[in-house]
Amino acid sequence: MSALNERSSESTGGTVYEQVQASPEFADLRSRLRRFVFPMSAAFLIWYLVYVLLASYAPSFMAIKVLGNINVGLIIGLLQFVTTFAITTIYVRYANKHLDPAAERIRERIEGAA
Amino acid sequence: MPVMSIEAISALVAMALVAIASAVIGSLGVRVARSTSDFLVASRTVGPTANAGAISGEYLSAASFLGIAGLILRDGVDALWYPVGFTAGYLALVLFVAAPLRRSGAYTVPDFAEARLRSRTLRKICTVFVAVIGWLYLLPQLQGAGLTLTTVTGLPSWVGMVASAVVVVATVVLGGMRSITFVQAFQYWLKLTAVVVPATIAVIFFVSDARTFNREAPPQFPERTTVDVRTDVTLQVEESVLVIYDGIPVSWEPGSYVVAAGSRLEFGGGAKVPVVAGAPVEDADWLVPYAGDREGGLLGTYSLIIALFLGTMGLPHVLVRFYTNPDGRAARRTAVIVLAMLGVFYVAVTLVGALSRLYNPQLLVSGDTDAAVLLLPAAVLGSGWAGALLGALVAAGAWAAFLSTSSGLIVSIAGVLSTDVLRSGKVRDFRLAAVIAGAAPLALSLTVTRLDFSEAVGLVFAVAASTFCPLLVLGIWWRGLTDRGAIAGVLVGGLLSAGAVALALTGRVGDGTLAVLLYRPALVTVPAAFLVMAVVSSLTRKRRPADTEQVMLRMHAPERLGLSRDRLAERLRSAGR
Repeated sequence: MSALNERSSESTGGTVYEQVQASPEFADLRSRLRRFVFPMSAAFLIWYLVYVLLASYAPSFMAIKVLGNINVGLIIGLLQFVTTFAITTIYVRYANKHLDPAAERIRERIEGAA
Repeated sequence: MPVMSIEAISALVAMALVAIASAVIGSLGVRVARSTSDFLVASRTVGPTANAGAISGEYLSAASFLGIAGLILRDGVDALWYPVGFTAGYLALVLFVAAPLRRSGAYTVPDFAEARLRSRTLRKICTVFVAVIGWLYLLPQLQGAGLTLTTVTGLPSWVGMVASAVVVVATVVLGGMRSITFVQAFQYWLKLTAVVVPATIAVIFFVSDARTFNREAPPQFPERTTVDVRTDVTLQVEESVLVIYDGIPVSWEPGSYVVAAGSRLEFGGGAKVPVVAGAPVEDADWLVPYAGDREGGLLGTYSLIIALFLGTMGLPHVLVRFYTNPDGRAARRTAVIVLAMLGVFYVAVTLVGALSRLYNPQLLVSGDTDAAVLLLPAAVLGSGWAGALLGALVAAGAWAAFLSTSSGLIVSIAGVLSTDVLRSGKVRDFRLAAVIAGAAPLALSLTVTRLDFSEAVGLVFAVAASTFCPLLVLGIWWRGLTDRGAIAGVLVGGLLSAGAVALALTGRVGDGTLAVLLYRPALVTVPAAFLVMAVVSSLTRKRRPADTEQVMLRMHAPERLGLSRDRLAERLRSAGR
């Protein structure tokens, strides 16, 4: 199937590229992706840096015992694993729900035009 | 050579079995995946779970297997940043790079550089850095194999390094090894078993034990313990302790003591453990981040986070593995499974490191904290058959960790060397390249001082983050990048970070902010590389490749449009004509 598509895109030359590039669907896809990827990375990095800041400037808070040997610092530290995993899961959900349909619309447009 | 114990023999047998099992599983598949096309072929036949196992298997190196537990044992909560960073780096790769790079049809960084910016010079520079990063990454792997062999058999560590390098190069040269995703997946499950089983057993012992971490005192030796010091070490003593130093009883008052390599120290049961200088002494401090104002904590940690978060995408063997997915959707599912697999492994390793503080406190004296995982079975189960069996399992896991990462690295390095330096696709040249790829780091590993494994790996991540991360991120997300800008940025980031690494490896960097930044250069070198790349690209705006728009579109448009020309399909067609 891909070989078929390739040939058709080659025979029409740059026009397919230009068409897609200019289409509102493609702009939509790109903005959806950027709207997700960049704020999410920022949130993620800030959460990391907050931990480091807390550890440096609020050691007594981090040392509060929650249960036996376990203190707040340790819990937040282990939560970093959980958040990494959670963000990936959210990304996959988002991609399946919002990015794939957007891609699908572009495909329909191209095939409709061909 | 001393007569070997049951433990040593069973561990050696287990390690040999892993090597044989890997070779057998690998050769069953017959097809030797050395090139792009083989990855494509593999991608059609492998499901996301097996694939995720393979990615995790290759990613979890000897440095992860041994090094993280060692750092946790010594530094406590602060060392959590390593496993967290290794996992987060994978997330950065998925978010920023994986899907667009896949669609670009480029399978290595040099390929990407040439496809995106049409520059042979940039391609060559990237090839050099693939080799440098790969070699630096192989260094702690070889040393890890050396340490494993020394710990289980008592043989000198160079024997382990030479033997392991020979085994890996031989498996790669004879084919098989890399070929099959299932080898890597098998090695992941073996590694996971090899840490989860001892961790679980140790936890059971811990729960039924009156001992606790929650004390404002140093750890104690559970019984009479003899420590052989293999490298010079400075110890801090906080409460006076009786020690038999090379046969002479002395009393150490609070203060710091320098112990020369080759010394033998004996401590009685219940004695307070002197701790290597620079590490938290009391258990209560060990449990709290940055207790006791450790120098450069904040700066060093920021720098480490940046290196690990952004460096993963620049590791040659990690990047190429990602193509073994049939489409974007499967790739995303794979990513989630990989993160779960990495998370479980790292939590288990962290547990092993923490429990080692109770069961193997002598490692804090000898400085050999990297041996924590290997020694836990004997410390918990004693020297009977149960301890020997569990020890063999752990040794097998360490060996699998070493084999999977090293062979992946050697295949990646040999791949770029044979296409870009030897300039042919011939199998014979690939084999020669594999030998070169293994010989260089072996020579290096026999000459330089050993750093803690995770520290050494951190340095490599810094180089990768300062070179390939800016190139990939700007190349994928910014149409303004030019060849001149990319070359300038990669060179500035690469030379600065590699220079810092080289200085750090000499071991004479002193103290203070500068020393922290030499050990952890990413905080300076990564922004520098991004900045230089952006500024030079803006100054050379006219050099933007004419097909930038098309390449960008191909990377960001969904695959199913058929816009992403398979380079393989292209090559096949041109060959057919």
